[in-house]
Amino acid sequence: MPLSPVRRLLDFDAQYRRDQQHTPDFLHRRDRRLALARQQDGAPPPDAAAWLSAVDAPGAGDALRSWRRGRAALTVAGAVLGVLTMLGVLYVDGQGRINVTLIMALALLQLVLALATSAQALSGRRPWGRLLGRGDGADTPVLRQLHPQLAARAAHGAGLAFAVTALLTLLAQVLVRDLAFGWSTTLQTSAPAYHALVEQLAWPWRGWLPAAVPGLELVEQSRYFRLVSEAPADPERLGAWWPFLAMLWLCYVLLPRLALLGLARLHLNHRARALLQRHPGWVALRERFATPWVDSGQAPAAAGPGPAVPAATELAPAPERGVVIRWAGAGSADLAGRLLEQAPAQVLEAGGSASLEQDRDTLARADLGLPVVLLARGWEPPTGELADFLDDARHCLPADTDIMLLPLANDDKTAVVDGALLAQWQRFVGRHKPVRLCRP
Amino acid sequence: MTEHATPRFAVVGHPNKGKSSIVATLAQNDGIAIALEPGTTRENGHYPLRVDDRLLYELIDTPGFQRPRRVLAWLQAHSLSASDRPDTVRAFVTQHRDDPRFHDECQLLTPILDGAGILYVVDGAVPYSREQEAEMEILRWTGRPSLALINRIGAGDHLADWRAALGQYFQIVRDFDAVHAPFDAHLSLLRGFGQLAPEWEAPLEEATAHLRDQRRHRQHQALQLIAAALADMLTHRETGRLRDDGNRDALEHDLGQRWRDWQRQREQRLRRDVEALYQHRHLRRREQALAWQPGSDLFSEQARRTWGVSRTYLATAGFGAGALGGAGIDALTAGHSLGAGALIGGVLGAAGSVFYGGKYADKLGAFKMLERFTGGTEAAFGPVRDPQFGYVVLGRALEHWHQVSHRNHAGRDPLTLGDADRHWLEQLPRGQRQRLQKALQDPPREPGDVKRRDALENAVEQAGEAFLNWRSGAS
Repeated sequence: MPLSPVRRLLDFDAQYRRDQQHTPDFLHRRDRRLALARQQDGAPPPDAAAWLSAVDAPGAGDALRSWRRGRAALTVAGAVLGVLTMLGVLYVDGQGRINVTLIMALALLQLVLALATSAQALSGRRPWGRLLGRGDGADTPVLRQLHPQLAARAAHGAGLAFAVTALLTLLAQVLVRDLAFGWSTTLQTSAPAYHALVEQLAWPWRGWLPAAVPGLELVEQSRYFRLVSEAPADPERLGAWWPFLAMLWLCYVLLPRLALLGLARLHLNHRARALLQRHPGWVALRERFATPWVDSGQAPAAAGPGPAVPAATELAPAPERGVVIRWAGAGSADLAGRLLEQAPAQVLEAGGSASLEQDRDTLARADLGLPVVLLARGWEPPTGELADFLDDARHCLPADTDIMLLPLANDDKTAVVDGALLAQWQRFVGRHKPVRLCRP
Repeated sequence: MTEHATPRFAVVGHPNKGKSSIVATLAQNDGIAIALEPGTTRENGHYPLRVDDRLLYELIDTPGFQRPRRVLAWLQAHSLSASDRPDTVRAFVTQHRDDPRFHDECQLLTPILDGAGILYVVDGAVPYSREQEAEMEILRWTGRPSLALINRIGAGDHLADWRAALGQYFQIVRDFDAVHAPFDAHLSLLRGFGQLAPEWEAPLEEATAHLRDQRRHRQHQALQLIAAALADMLTHRETGRLRDDGNRDALEHDLGQRWRDWQRQREQRLRRDVEALYQHRHLRRREQALAWQPGSDLFSEQARRTWGVSRTYLATAGFGAGALGGAGIDALTAGHSLGAGALIGGVLGAAGSVFYGGKYADKLGAFKMLERFTGGTEAAFGPVRDPQFGYVVLGRALEHWHQVSHRNHAGRDPLTLGDADRHWLEQLPRGQRQRLQKALQDPPREPGDVKRRDALENAVEQAGEAFLNWRSGAS
């Protein structure tokens, strides 16, 4: 069954509020895919109902429950009030007559009230809203914007129930009682003038139902004065007003209420459609439909948790004597020459632009039975070639040779002290024991 | 376009020369690991650019070379002539696929042998050294289209030496600062990738067009987020109940505190929303360490001095905003009021703006007693009545948005709020100033208040444009 515009608006608003919990990326991807799927079938982007169905929206629940209950209560109240009002109007004591003028005034009052209700709804105002608004707090802002129209629909429903039961009560009274109608007024009005008024009021039906239009004779005969207690010449004639009164009620109370109830429904639906079109979620949804989804690296981050940082250890001091090897040109020749307390036995080069043969030659020349200090750029991560060189050194040099690695800071003069950088070098030498880290 | 013909680019180079920074910036992913070491398991990271699920190109972040001299020695030992070099490289990968020593080399060479273009990254801040020639030589042996990127990680400048050396090995040599390059430079670089092969030009052009549209769309969305936050913050009210025997001052203090806390939280939510929009997913973790200047919280005098406006400005803009409203009366009277509506509205607007905009800190929210109930009175703090408040929130939000939107995903420094000796509102034409003032004075009261919402969104859009102009002029 297609959703009513009001239900569609409320369901959409509920889904919009649920969507606030999602990421904008997810929403864009989901909705753009829906639009593209329809585009492939040659269809325009989905409307609100199709979209709600496509995203499997659970709906807004029974958001209109209190309004529905209120409408039902008002309708019942209107129906009961219609019966009571008509019984009250038709009540006479003894030989009294029922004043037609009073019924005409009541009908016209009903018409004015009905028109005023519609005018309020059309203007979007609800002046009496504060009186009844205590329970509105649970309604969503969108539903609150429909209050004037919902209230008008409820009021017209109650008014229609009032009009129907009042008319039925009139007809029932006509059937079971001998009603004597008359007209009376304090104003200086002649019977012809009153007849002219009646004829005007009967305009909607006088052309096709003349029996329901009182004639001048009836009008003259049915005038009465409260202080004159003369009996009417023909009491049976006085009941002839009832077709006029029934038609008056039908045309000026019941049918206008029915028409205005239909108008209220149309207005409510129109207002709901308009609110949906202006809903911030609908505007954003259409943007998502129309905007290509650009996915530039939405995948989960490639990096996992970093390796564990080993416990800080005190760096060994550089040996007093030894061989210094500059790996990939780390440190200056000058620094290498004065790094140790005593001048190094050899300052050699390895790695970088040197060939593998030159590395092997360096290791052969470093075999002097002295500690070997390898200078490296500490701000760069240790490479596999450095690892290979250390492995080769352990195999080529005597087993008791102390091999020490000194990663330099980016000033190329001092040792690395940065925690993260030092940690990666500690892990590195940990994998190449018995190589140790040292400081100048 | 088939998946096979899709441009793919392997970002390769020596360890720690900025490969991942390049990929992080171009793929807009701030979660990419920046520095690793041998011994840590490293696999290629794939970062495709898809538009509506259609793959336009793919960046492949590879491990760095670990043993280039050994690889080159193997290749030279197994090659007879220049014509068999690509096959020899393929043979190397086949031979050493399961050798842990050459895991990284096999990883980085595999996509190249499968048809990816080469993006070789070097650090232009350190002097050129021959030690990387082995890597470049290996890449040349693959015979694939190649482009060298000179990234600058440090302060040094050795671009000329690098350009000269790289020009001998690569078809195209480009400079690219992964951390600071503006968005247009990203697009220019991507177009440069398209020059590597004729069939790659069209998809790269299409990709750059989509990325440009995406950026424009994000700007629109970010400014809408700011407008929504402004509306919330300008209209927020905290309510409480003051019993007949209760302490009024204590309740006012309590409501005021709750009101300020709510405002701070709403502002933080806006920050997170804008960062998520620009895919700065890891910036949030650093938010606690954001280097907001001490004392420059939302409600400080420092914030007012930086982002607030002068009394003269308030009077002028307030007059204009009031006149805009008063002009409606003139329109209703078909001009018979002879412009009196606009004049009266203007005077009232100016007077109100100056009166409420004088002091700042003690006029953020108004404490009011509302309806009585049995045994007490309903009390409220807020909404804000100081017109400066909207300017402070807006200025801070625009500054944050500007920094986030201009921040590359390789950046790791904390955000800092900027300061300036001129005010960004200078860039806003008078008419737009008045509309902004009116929108701040009369924000939407509820989500369905379409007219005011549109007015505020339009005013913030214009403010965003003016802010961009101001920042581009200041930088």
